[in-house]
Amino acid sequence: MKKIYLIALLGFLGGGLPAQTNVPATPPTSRPPTRINSDHGEFDLSSRRAIYYDHVRVEDPRMTLTCDRLTADLPQSEAQERHIVAETNVVIYAVDEKGQTNHATCDRAIYDYRVEAGATNETVTLTGHAMMESAQGTLTGEPIFWDRTRNRLTATDQKMVFRQNVSPAAIHTNSAPDPAPASPVRTGTEIDSNSVTPP
Amino acid sequence: MKRPRNSLLPIAGTLLAAGFLAGAGPAQNGVTGRAGNFSSAEYFAPPHPLQMKSRLSGAEARPVSGGLLVIQELKLETFNTNGLVEVIVTAPDCIYDTQAGVARSAGHLRLETGDGTSHIEGDGFLWRQDSSLLTISNNVRTVIKTPAEIKTGL
Repeated sequence: MKKIYLIALLGFLGGGLPAQTNVPATPPTSRPPTRINSDHGEFDLSSRRAIYYDHVRVEDPRMTLTCDRLTADLPQSEAQERHIVAETNVVIYAVDEKGQTNHATCDRAIYDYRVEAGATNETVTLTGHAMMESAQGTLTGEPIFWDRTRNRLTATDQKMVFRQNVSPAAIHTNSAPDPAPASPVRTGTEIDSNSVTPP
Repeated sequence: MKRPRNSLLPIAGTLLAAGFLAGAGPAQNGVTGRAGNFSSAEYFAPPHPLQMKSRLSGAEARPVSGGLLVIQELKLETFNTNGLVEVIVTAPDCIYDTQAGVARSAGHLRLETGDGTSHIEGDGFLWRQDSSLLTISNNVRTVIKTPAEIKTGL
């Protein structure tokens, strides 16, 4: 099974951060709260676990997510971990630092946030018909692993479709760009796992 | 985890202390009258039998048929084994089944975590005391604050 490593292929996080194993935790900055709305909910007050059902909508300063079911652990005051699972008809809209709206869909998305030894790790794993789309192109894979801390996408069994005005060389892979024009039946250049070499 | 105590017992004790049962008028379905400042506590099983697990209180409790209590200005607090407040649930009113340890209401509910990081609101709820499960039926709205907001009181 081949994987591809892309540095912000779809521009989900805009400007990007240096590629490090992890990034030192930054002091908290003021930003709007995260809001979760749904039709119904069930809450285990012992474990602080919340399950939201039907028309679930999460509004975060950096993204909006909708799904049919979402499981989240309500954070402790000095929480070093956060684990959220969105399931069924998952749709994510994220605005990057350039103001571009990016779009992802899948059957299941798992968000993990963790601070270990002073370093922050924040990831989203998309599985089940996973697809990410931006102005630059479309990526499908199973799964798509989105490292929000390092601004990196990793996809297994991926397929990419680039829009015509975007050079494949701009994505920082080791593969040579395809000089041939895109097929008339396609809207962009398509690359599968056999044509891209991981760095 | 099973309840170490029957939730009815502390209720009865509280109601007695409030003069609820003493000197009551003609009985209807066994109980009548009202009680102010009612509360019911549940405790952890060993090794923390002296630590309160949850406390359900109200400004007023009125018994109705079937062992039910109509509670006004409900306040439900849950605690961890260190005695710190985990969550505080408030509602204008609810019906509390003393036998089953279940509280329910079609009205509004607000839940706030003890550390102030999150709050949840909704309409209509069911609270199962033995499992600590709270079901909100409609219009669930959750706000999770960032650490900076908590520190600045936003």
